[in-house]
Amino acid sequence: MSEFFQLIVSGLSTGSIYALAAVGFTLLWQASQTINFAQGEFVMLPAFLVLALSVKLGFPLWLAMPLAIILAVLILGVLFKRLVVEPMIKHGTLPLVIATIALGVLLKEMVKEFYSPLGQPFPSLFPQDVVTIFGAVISIPDIANFVIAMGAIVALQLFLGGTRTGRSMQATAQNPDVAQILGVDIKRMVLYTFMINGALAAIASILITPIYLAKFSNGETLGLIAFIAAIVGGFNQIRGALVGGLLIGIIDNLSATYVSAEYRQALPLILLIVIILIRPQGLLGTSEGRTV
Amino acid sequence: MLELKDIYGGYGKITILNGTSFKIPRASITTVIGPNGAGKSTVFKAIFGLLNIHSGQILLEGTDVTGRTPKQMIDAGVTYVPQGRNVVPQLSVYHNLELGGITARDQRKLRDRIEQVMDQFPMLREFRNRKAVELSGGQQKQLEVARALLLDPKLMLVDEPSIGLSPNLVKDVFRTLQDLRDQGVTILMVEQNAKSALAVSDYGLVLELGQARMHDEAAKLLADPRVGHLFLGGHIDEEETA
Ligand SMILES: Nc1ncnc2c1ncn2[C@@H]1O[C@H](COP(=O)(O)OP(=O)(O)O)[C@@H](O)[C@H]1O
Ligand SMILES: [Mg+2]
Repeated sequence: MSEFFQLIVSGLSTGSIYALAAVGFTLLWQASQTINFAQGEFVMLPAFLVLALSVKLGFPLWLAMPLAIILAVLILGVLFKRLVVEPMIKHGTLPLVIATIALGVLLKEMVKEFYSPLGQPFPSLFPQDVVTIFGAVISIPDIANFVIAMGAIVALQLFLGGTRTGRSMQATAQNPDVAQILGVDIKRMVLYTFMINGALAAIASILITPIYLAKFSNGETLGLIAFIAAIVGGFNQIRGALVGGLLIGIIDNLSATYVSAEYRQALPLILLIVIILIRPQGLLGTSEGRTV
Repeated sequence: MLELKDIYGGYGKITILNGTSFKIPRASITTVIGPNGAGKSTVFKAIFGLLNIHSGQILLEGTDVTGRTPKQMIDAGVTYVPQGRNVVPQLSVYHNLELGGITARDQRKLRDRIEQVMDQFPMLREFRNRKAVELSGGQQKQLEVARALLLDPKLMLVDEPSIGLSPNLVKDVFRTLQDLRDQGVTILMVEQNAKSALAVSDYGLVLELGQARMHDEAAKLLADPRVGHLFLGGHIDEEETA
């Protein structure tokens, strides 16, 4: 029983990091119909920004990490929107999707070429200790990751619901025509969304990379998981993406123990298929579309 | 107050407005009528900066406002209630109202103004914390009209406010517009429900194929047999040559 509890907790921990990527994915879709197939690479890259700043340039970690987040906001947020999304979306959703796939490959190959094709050790922010709760052994990094990732998502929700800018962003996502006639600066709101996605990806990157190593190919599964989590959650809701991320984290961890490793990779996909079959609108999704 | 001079414009390469010209006075209600697809809604989009205008001029109180953005039109004192449903579905009624004043400089004053508008539409106060999508169609329309009042506009563009509203609510909306007119607001409205709309209007304007065909006092248009014919789907030209 305590083993099961342990697995649930570590599942929630990785799941909350998946949720960061899935929430960002959902935000981009809502605000600009961008399906970002480079999202996995967006989570892979900031870890290398941290490494480049700390290992190559000698910045202390406490400085390298916030700098990497800022760089991610600029590169994965502002530049991504200006250089990839804006020129491509004019031609439709499909060309944009293809462009994001290409961008993913480009980021991956660039890291491989210019940094290293080998996995790099990545510093953890937290002591690798454990605490015992109700007989279950739980690692401190698991707890810390969960608290930070959930904290970021809760803060995002509070911002979107509790500030005028956040509500303007919601209006832009839910009904851009109305937002425009009320005088909302919809271009700026969309830009904010891209910047937030860059920040979420960077936080996810810093939290998840110590669990593995920093490697150019880290985005391959992460991107798929973010995509599946977003769909499972209903694709158009932050809460849905959160639930989807947590669910996949838990399934992932349970299956690592109870199911042969060979099938483990397939489980998120099986979850996806099951959800699409029984609840096409996603777990928390509503079938109603945009109202214009 | 508002003058359109020979406006040509449309969507992409399609031209919908073919030299639309008219002029409406301050503190009046003008109802635009005309067959479906005549370009009534397009005229509103042109005025509000949502349309590609090829040529012509739009004057607001003598100032050229052609080609301004919606935000600039709001700042110039114009608000717009488009056809159909125009709420932010997942935001509360209160926050939908608040968005109507998103461009206001003085946010404290805006909060007072929201209270006043909710006094005017008690339904909105009752449901202030409900999501807009949970309101009925008529309630959503009231919300949209209320939202357009927040900034105390000089000119309101109201496109088919009565669609989906019960006759009682239509009366309410028309009365609200008349009250506003009495306070000095200029109102340009499109209505399918031409008879009852003209009955509460000062002027009527018949739009056909993107051109203003008749423009007169509402009472005169109501009495004009050609207008009656138009409501049955005919064209003014046919009537004139017949
Ligand atoms: N967004 C648009 N893109 C292209 N054509 C449009 C658009 N909106 C309206 N139209 C066309 O413009 C014409 C006039 O439309 P509209 O102004 O909505 O008419 P009305 O409001 O008088 O019924 C119609 O032929 C319509 O098909
Ligand atoms: Mg219309």
